[in-house]
Amino acid sequence: MHLWETATRPVPSPAEPACNDSTPRYLTARIVAHRQIAAATFRIRLDCPEIATQALPGQFAMLRIPDRLDPLLARPLAVYDSFSAPEGDAVQGPPSQRRYVDFVYVVHGKFTTALKEIPAGENLIVWGPLGNGFVAIPAVEHLVLVAGGIGQTALLALGKEQCGRASYGLPPRSRPTSRVTLCWGARTAAAFGDVADFSQAGIDVHLATLDGSAGQQGTVIDLLNTLEPDWNSPESRHVACCGPEGMMEAVAAWTAGRRIGCHVSLEAPMACGIGICFTCVARVREAASGASPDEPPAWDYRRTCVEGPIFSAASIEW
Amino acid sequence: MPPADRFAAARPASEGSPVEPPPVDLAVMIGSLRLPNPILVASGTFGYAREMAGYVDLARLGGIVPKTITPLPRKGNVPWRTVETSAGLLNSIGLDNDGIDAFLQAQLPFLLGCGAPVIVSIAGANQREFVQLADRLEGVPGIAGLELNISCPNVSHGVDLGTDPELCRSVVAGVRGVTRLPVIAKLTPNVTDIASIARGARDGGADALTLINTCQGMAVDWRRRRPMLGNGIGGLSGPAIKPIALRCVYQVRKAVDLPIIGVGGIMTIDDCMEFFVTGATAVQIGTANFAEPIASMRLLEALPKALAEIGATCMADLIGTLRPPAGAAVPAPPPPPGSPPHAA
Repeated sequence: MHLWETATRPVPSPAEPACNDSTPRYLTARIVAHRQIAAATFRIRLDCPEIATQALPGQFAMLRIPDRLDPLLARPLAVYDSFSAPEGDAVQGPPSQRRYVDFVYVVHGKFTTALKEIPAGENLIVWGPLGNGFVAIPAVEHLVLVAGGIGQTALLALGKEQCGRASYGLPPRSRPTSRVTLCWGARTAAAFGDVADFSQAGIDVHLATLDGSAGQQGTVIDLLNTLEPDWNSPESRHVACCGPEGMMEAVAAWTAGRRIGCHVSLEAPMACGIGICFTCVARVREAASGASPDEPPAWDYRRTCVEGPIFSAASIEW
Repeated sequence: MPPADRFAAARPASEGSPVEPPPVDLAVMIGSLRLPNPILVASGTFGYAREMAGYVDLARLGGIVPKTITPLPRKGNVPWRTVETSAGLLNSIGLDNDGIDAFLQAQLPFLLGCGAPVIVSIAGANQREFVQLADRLEGVPGIAGLELNISCPNVSHGVDLGTDPELCRSVVAGVRGVTRLPVIAKLTPNVTDIASIARGARDGGADALTLINTCQGMAVDWRRRRPMLGNGIGGLSGPAIKPIALRCVYQVRKAVDLPIIGVGGIMTIDDCMEFFVTGATAVQIGTANFAEPIASMRLLEALPKALAEIGATCMADLIGTLRPPAGAAVPAPPPPPGSPPHAA
């Protein structure tokens, strides 16, 4: 049974299914690998078949360090990828055979500072998979992934799936494949970690840095403007974006101006991840509102954890 | 409901031992309301229960207090709405809810089907709105009781009603006048003398008290020179406030003869036992639900063993059995001359 199907939030329109069929679980999971992949970025692999087999691209899990009151709460981390072997990334296998799930995080606050010190062999508390995941991406000729900072973590699985390199979900969902491009922006070159995960999957990778230390100097918007002339018509393209809110707002405006479809993965602070605390709300426009240009669209707060984290960029009141 | 052993995998080995504990009676009375056990879940920390159905065997709970409802829908406060602080959680959700009509139609049927007593939490901006809400709920079959949230720190009027004994009395009395359900007043710790507020609730006809709501607090980002919460200030919950909650239970227990539901920072079975001994007839699990969605089940599993440890066979053997401080009867000797004053 899917837990969120019966939730009494407003019924999503058919174009925006807010649900998928995964069943979240509360688990103790052993860390099987934990390594630094960039200046402040770490990658952690958990022995967690319940999440590894089920998670869809764009879903997340809550991770907590056991037996501590400080940090007290779990933190949401995007499911980066899932594997059938404890080491190496080559052995992925069909979703039903996966046992290990990877998360990539940047050390930023109290939780991540503590987490990076927890070695392989120790346990974490984890619950998931959570959220809707990327379920509404239409079939297109060209999927453009736009990441800012640590936002690539929500996009790898989607890119691999779209390239036909991996499948996700139980049963595995099938999606039409297409060309996939990643535009990844960060402050500096030292922020990029495991870029090869994308390039080895057949994704065309382009980097941008604010200081020019890697890729094109500037933002992802600058990068998109540079690349766009070589791309085919906007109608055949779709953008999936994850990064800081200001960056996502800029990408949403960039896509809206070109009539390119865009989905964003919102990164909101969460206390529970399962819809009970009402912390992670985002301003989401009501479907029927804003029909007239004179009338500003009505919005309401929606819980990012259960109605997101993936939203159509056009539905967000930034 | 699915079989209970569905949750076995999530159970830590340290609590909820598979060894069968001696039979103990966990039932408690909150006024005329009989609860099958004293482990409840607190309003605002459990959604409307359906969100928790995959984590908690809802039918086993001593009671469910769903998220507070108001007469009309409320969008709630501007994000950020929560900030984690040292062993605590600061929130300013602002009673985000869809209003009583949506609650009755969309949430209550599921809640009433959970198999646990449902205590509906209501909040109005004034006495009239509290009465209006209670009146709407009167006669709705299946509701076990009403909890009056006169203590939400995140809406301007909430604290006012709960910080004045006479206003508290008038709200409780107004609700008392329109409902036959047990009326439970949830009090704020953000007062100088909580016992006086408790007496106001008692004089208004409350059947029980829930102690406490969150403690007003604040978090600041000094680099940006801004409050971290969108609302500026909020309410602190979690382990950081447990001593304050225990103190309130202790003071109110001495002041009024009403059952008390203790809430504030309960994470472990020891926390529960401390509240019971201090005078709480039941407890509510709040922030722990966020940190550990199965917390209520873990505590419920551990409770019989903890009772057995002190030879208790029912909750009455435990509730309010706190002794005076060790050595309280012996007057303290005067400090030797020239010694520094005691830091009390």
